[in-house]
Amino acid sequence: MVYVITWDDFVEQSVKLFRSNPDKTRYVMKYRHSDGKLVLKVTDDKQCLKFKTDQAQDAKKMEKLNNIFFTLMARGPETDITEVTGKEQAAQPAKKGRGRKQ
Amino acid sequence: MVRLQLDPFLNELTSMFQHTTEKGSVWVTLKHSTDKSLVQRNKMASAGKELEYKCLVRATDGKKNISTLVGAKDHQRFQASYATILKARMTSLKKREKKDKRKAPDAADKKQQVSKKRSTTTAKP
Repeated sequence: MVYVITWDDFVEQSVKLFRSNPDKTRYVMKYRHSDGKLVLKVTDDKQCLKFKTDQAQDAKKMEKLNNIFFTLMARGPETDITEVTGKEQAAQPAKKGRGRKQ
Repeated sequence: MVRLQLDPFLNELTSMFQHTTEKGSVWVTLKHSTDKSLVQRNKMASAGKELEYKCLVRATDGKKNISTLVGAKDHQRFQASYATILKARMTSLKKREKKDKRKAPDAADKKQQVSKKRSTTTAKP
């Protein structure tokens, strides 16, 4: 099985795979509470990318990836996903902006 | 395969997570789909009609299969609820240990001992 080591590589390659074959590509998530393991798989039945983890921090990253895939799949593969990643980046400085000036 | 509406699907998914706490897995699959057969799609394409794409979400606990279709209008709401369920349920994943080491050696030792105990308990066949 093709396990990708870094999270960012996994995201980049899976979005690329989806855009190249939107009708066949699927994103699968398997969670086992008893083992504390999470495995993600993106495949178009020709190529397969996998990512496994037992870290809580990766679950947060996976949420962002879920958002990306939901947007791509519900709206269309041509959707600009910088909206999704951009929203989060825009939200963070706004939070920092709440200063002690009050 | 049981096709549900969005909210019943989310409820069923939550109960799947509850049932598989001790043993078993939850699989969730996301796919871009029109929910129409290839024949219908070809007909629609040749008639010049635009196909409406949705996101097909399937979930299973190994025994029961459920699915739902999420359209562009509902996807934000579904995404938020889905994220909440995952955050609440995925509690058995390990917390980051490396950060704690940098903070303070005493705190790290305690946490290492705790995590060692945890790892030994999970290692039991």
